[in-house]
Amino acid sequence: MTGETLFQHYPAMPMIWDEMKDADRIREPYHSIYEAIRKLNLPDLQQKDKLASELFMSQGITFTVYSDNEGIERIFPFDIIPRIITSTEWGHIEAGIKQRLRALNLFLKDIYHEQQIIHDEVIPAALIASCPHFTREVFGIKVPNDIYVHIAGIDLIRGDDGTFYILEDNLRTPSGVSYMLENREVTKRIFPDLLANSNVRMINNYPLILHDNLVALSQRQTENPVVVLLTPGVFNSAYFEHTFLARQMGIQLVEGRDLVVDHQKVYMKTTAGLRQVDVIYRRVDDEFLDPLVFRPDSALGVPGLMSAYRKGNVAIVNALGNGVADDKAVYAYVPAMIKYYLNEEPILQNVPTYQMKNVEEREYVFENMEKMVIKETNQSGGYGMVMGNSATKEELQKSKECILANPRNFIAQPIIKLSTVPCLLDGKLQPRHVDLRPYALCGPNGIDIVPGGLTRVALREGSLVVNSSQGGGSKDTWVIDLRET
Amino acid sequence: MLSRIADSLFWLHRYMERADGMLRLLKTSYILSFDKVQASGISWGPALQIFTALSKEEIEALKTNDAAVLQYMITDTRNLNSLRVIVTRARENARGVQDQITKEVWEQVNHLYHMVTHPALTEKLAGPDAIVAIDALITSSDQFCGITDSTMPRGQGWNYMNLGKFTERCLLTVEFTNIFFRKVNYDFTDEQDILFWRSLLLALSGYELHLKNYSNQNHNCNVAQQVLFDKNFPRSLYYALDRANKYLCDVSEMNPVEGTPPLCRMFGRLHSYVKFSDLAIVAETGMEPFLKEIRHELNEFSRLLGQTYFSYA
Repeated sequence: MTGETLFQHYPAMPMIWDEMKDADRIREPYHSIYEAIRKLNLPDLQQKDKLASELFMSQGITFTVYSDNEGIERIFPFDIIPRIITSTEWGHIEAGIKQRLRALNLFLKDIYHEQQIIHDEVIPAALIASCPHFTREVFGIKVPNDIYVHIAGIDLIRGDDGTFYILEDNLRTPSGVSYMLENREVTKRIFPDLLANSNVRMINNYPLILHDNLVALSQRQTENPVVVLLTPGVFNSAYFEHTFLARQMGIQLVEGRDLVVDHQKVYMKTTAGLRQVDVIYRRVDDEFLDPLVFRPDSALGVPGLMSAYRKGNVAIVNALGNGVADDKAVYAYVPAMIKYYLNEEPILQNVPTYQMKNVEEREYVFENMEKMVIKETNQSGGYGMVMGNSATKEELQKSKECILANPRNFIAQPIIKLSTVPCLLDGKLQPRHVDLRPYALCGPNGIDIVPGGLTRVALREGSLVVNSSQGGGSKDTWVIDLRET
Repeated sequence: MLSRIADSLFWLHRYMERADGMLRLLKTSYILSFDKVQASGISWGPALQIFTALSKEEIEALKTNDAAVLQYMITDTRNLNSLRVIVTRARENARGVQDQITKEVWEQVNHLYHMVTHPALTEKLAGPDAIVAIDALITSSDQFCGITDSTMPRGQGWNYMNLGKFTERCLLTVEFTNIFFRKVNYDFTDEQDILFWRSLLLALSGYELHLKNYSNQNHNCNVAQQVLFDKNFPRSLYYALDRANKYLCDVSEMNPVEGTPPLCRMFGRLHSYVKFSDLAIVAETGMEPFLKEIRHELNEFSRLLGQTYFSYA
């Protein structure tokens, strides 16, 4: 089968925004891809697909599935056809995310200090008080440069008219950035000419910006501050990413057992004795960080870490307690925060969100369950989610009961048909739903967002769930400057 | 350097060196197994005795079946010292220090791991392609050495890696030598056929050197001299100890902690003992007690090294 026929058989999906095809026309940003693939045959493309898988495998970019005591190595599925975003669209996204993060940082500072936003009744006190990630232990702690969210992964989706919406803020330990970077490296190997001719913006300076931001957080007067990346260890599913980032930044990768706290200072245990640590980029959740303050059974953390943090002797990235700002119920108030703190209109819109605590909204949702997606406010990774259009009657009934038992724990959103992009599956080009997670870095000199992000794709036909734990894959994401015609 | 990292680098290289030694011995034994007329009766015996925990009876039962031996030694996970288990452990250590080794080194360990765990390997080992498969594994192990040498920075990590490598090499040479000399009742005044010693020398990659260096018939004596004291033979006990001594000196200089002086004294005694010995002393002590003592001291050194630099948990 030739590339041309692959495109001819690409189905049009009614009521869904396909990013490549508008009715019978290939959209302009995809012209270069269309031209390149048209000249190839299916076996060429399949060969590229195979090469991509081998590259991931040989580099150990894998996760392990255990069955019968045997570990089986799997790669995260990668689709070779890049996803394209134009520089104009990107400009809009970038401005929107920067605005949102400025507001969220101000919110976190406020909520752990004066709580002015509650006194002014912009956000109900009960909502914050009932948030499981509102961390009383960090109340009043001053963090360097008043930055709480140093690294954010903001999930965006595109509705049926092509508009970008914010779906979710990930402000704790967002993962996936290594896939964004590695996907590009693999694309360089499989589509070198296409990449070189398409004016694609560079993304590989991400680790350098992050490193500069981390070093700037050190509070000790020293020429070479010690920055470490704290990982839960080799069994963590994101372990590859931890090693990748540590290597790219040239910082130590440490586990909790490598660190010790003495007189409110953090040290790492080296072969030459103890060495003080200034900045910790942690990939361990808040509740496991310090067994003396949070979960006492945690073996991943460092006893006494909070005392050093409180004293300002060590900077922790992202700050503790950020979960209160990416709670799914608090999400609905982010537009209000933007107005409150910045006196601006939100550039990127939220997906309409119904609070189940609110009786009227709840009644409305119950009447329209089949059009709604129900989400638990403190869950992530695609867990705790019920899609109204595909759930059985029993599941919907059970979901209603759960909501009634604890309405604060749930929100509902109308199901948005995510935009689709072409994927090479089973020897055909097929449309699949995608989202986009750009990674934003907040440092003392402002907010940087490398142009692109991780495009996650729901590989099952018709599925809207893109999470890797639920059968999702990923794609390289190109932000391109279209040439003037 | 983090203690945990140093520990992992040390063990990464111990395991890789063990895998290498084992593969060489397997290849030699496999080729030897085709010669059905064997005066020496060597065949799979040494490999099974050194690298498995099987009883005498089990070894007897297994050693006539080439395919079964290869399966057991290479791919069987019930054998806790099979190549697959060793390489998996090496990879686990490498995974834990991925940011401290170069990308190339990691990819090579990962490559060898995927070779050993590939489902087709079991089938290959049972058929006529067994030698091709073993050769491919040996090449991959050689590549690991080359890649490590050409990409790893010469810092602390390098020193710990080499300490692991040469500690393991000493132990392997001691074990190999012991098994083969046991067959001749540790008598090196005797003149065993060179064909007997060829297996030992091939397993240690020292056969060609032996032919170049020795032209007389005192094979037992010559072989003992070569594997224990030849300072130009990279797998001799003396050479490996001397290298380990160099890396220990570098490590101790960079990490002058409390336990360093006793550790250096302990290793210094062992190093000097071998350095200032010769075959006459070995004969006087008895080869078996001599090798036994070296093995004991090496294990003690490894333990003390861990206690001094790797205690982090």
